[in-house]
Amino acid sequence: MSTAPTEAPLSPNVTDASLYLDGIPYDRFAEMRATPGLVWHDYHDGGFWAVTRHADVRTMSRDAEVFSSAVGHTNLWDLEADALEARRSLIDTDSPDHTRLRRLVARAFTPKNIRRWEDTVRVITAELLDEFVEKGQGDFVAEVAAPLPIRVILTMLGVPVEDAGYLVELSNFLVEGTGETQSIPPDAFGNTTELRLLPFNSPASHALFEYGEKMGEMRRNDPQDDLVTSLVQAEAEDGDRLSGSEYRNLFHLLVFAGNETTRTALSHGAMALADHPDQWQRVLDDPSLIESATEEVLRWSSPVMHMRRTTTKEVELAGTTLGAGEKVVMWYSSANRDDAVFDDPFAFDVGRQDNAHFSFGGGGPHLCLGAYLARLEIIVLLEEMAKRKLHLTRLGEPVRAPSNFVHGVLSVDMAVEARA
Amino acid sequence: MMVRIQVNQESCIGSGQCEMLEEETFVLDDDTGISQVVGTGLLPADRAEKVIDMCPGRAISLTET
Ligand code: HEM
Repeated sequence: MSTAPTEAPLSPNVTDASLYLDGIPYDRFAEMRATPGLVWHDYHDGGFWAVTRHADVRTMSRDAEVFSSAVGHTNLWDLEADALEARRSLIDTDSPDHTRLRRLVARAFTPKNIRRWEDTVRVITAELLDEFVEKGQGDFVAEVAAPLPIRVILTMLGVPVEDAGYLVELSNFLVEGTGETQSIPPDAFGNTTELRLLPFNSPASHALFEYGEKMGEMRRNDPQDDLVTSLVQAEAEDGDRLSGSEYRNLFHLLVFAGNETTRTALSHGAMALADHPDQWQRVLDDPSLIESATEEVLRWSSPVMHMRRTTTKEVELAGTTLGAGEKVVMWYSSANRDDAVFDDPFAFDVGRQDNAHFSFGGGGPHLCLGAYLARLEIIVLLEEMAKRKLHLTRLGEPVRAPSNFVHGVLSVDMAVEARA
Repeated sequence: MMVRIQVNQESCIGSGQCEMLEEETFVLDDDTGISQVVGTGLLPADRAEKVIDMCPGRAISLTET
């Protein structure tokens, strides 16, 4: 194990959750990007190397053999071995497990196949927007950004409409589990599992596992054209293609992974359009900009601010030598503002070309499974807003999530108006 | 200049990036979801470079020769 350099050029702190209450501390990241090599960052249970430049995040993302997702944890803190095992899902595996699990779900999410959900996304989006317009103002997160992604993924999984409310509720408790406090007791939903063995330490995870199992059972007996059916069929074909624990955790990941993230992108997107009316006018004048505007919303919002890897052997990155078994953290929020790659990175430009943002990761095997679904949701929202000539105005400052992980917006009051 | 590409079926994760970028050259197999080269596998060098770069499984490469 190597130790912190003795003459650390700066003593960075980008992990205090409270720093994020005013937004991402971009100045601290700029300082780290300008520092040669990697920057050592102290952390409660052992420090990590901070990777802040676009080029270095890219190199690291693409070398999954050296930078492992299966060791330690993909979040900043280590999990005990039994907890890591119980909670392990696609996101915390390396190949060959990763390749096997990913292939089971990959098909439904390819750029080509995701298009088949366009009408579903459009119907849900139109309904939410029309209700919002009718009210004239309200919290954009609660009215549009939160319900849109969860309704879409539940439809894809095949969750019956009458159960959607229950799963939305569970998902909201999980969001809470990523913060500091939980409002539900450990034995909520009949949970008897130790919380540290559950994703997000949340009893809601137990309920979600149970629901997933019940639904899997139903689909095993009565297959439908949905994602849960394709998962249980993969399980049935050959006992060891998908274990019970893998199914549970994959169902959980699919329900959860796209929610807080897409909600964050949509919320920051709406705020950016309200704050830059000239940019929204460009989109209204030329809807062919919606595709580049979507990429810019993704770059601008950096919904997932970092992911962690652990080295499997000694390796050099950006001139710094790392030992085996060290924590290394890729800061996408920093890479997305790196002026070595982006001209004028702090300008919100809906026409930005060659927008190589890392909001879905830096391009390795863990590249976001839902990237084209999330893109579809943003594209359809912009299209439906443009069609209605909607203009958003802010009624106040957003309430931000105290999190160094998800760039979350808890609420933001906005007025909405259709202008001819 | 034209170059020839190949897919390593072991490391393909079935993301479909290649199929999106070069639909004449790559097709995901209906059964396995794994990418396959159709036709000659020849691409202009710059487009080959792009599709190689975009593959999350690092499964596409130039063939020898
Ligand atoms: C704007 C919205 C989204 C953002 C910013 C986002 C971001 C990310 C990032 C950064 C990763 C990489 C994790 C890593 O490298 O360790 C990831 C992985 C993943 N995302 Fe997303 N995501 C979004 C939407 C979605 C949606 C809609 C789904 C729906 C299914 C989803 C499902 C997943 C899954 C399953 C993984 C794990 C992939 C793997 O490990 O192979 N995401 N996401």
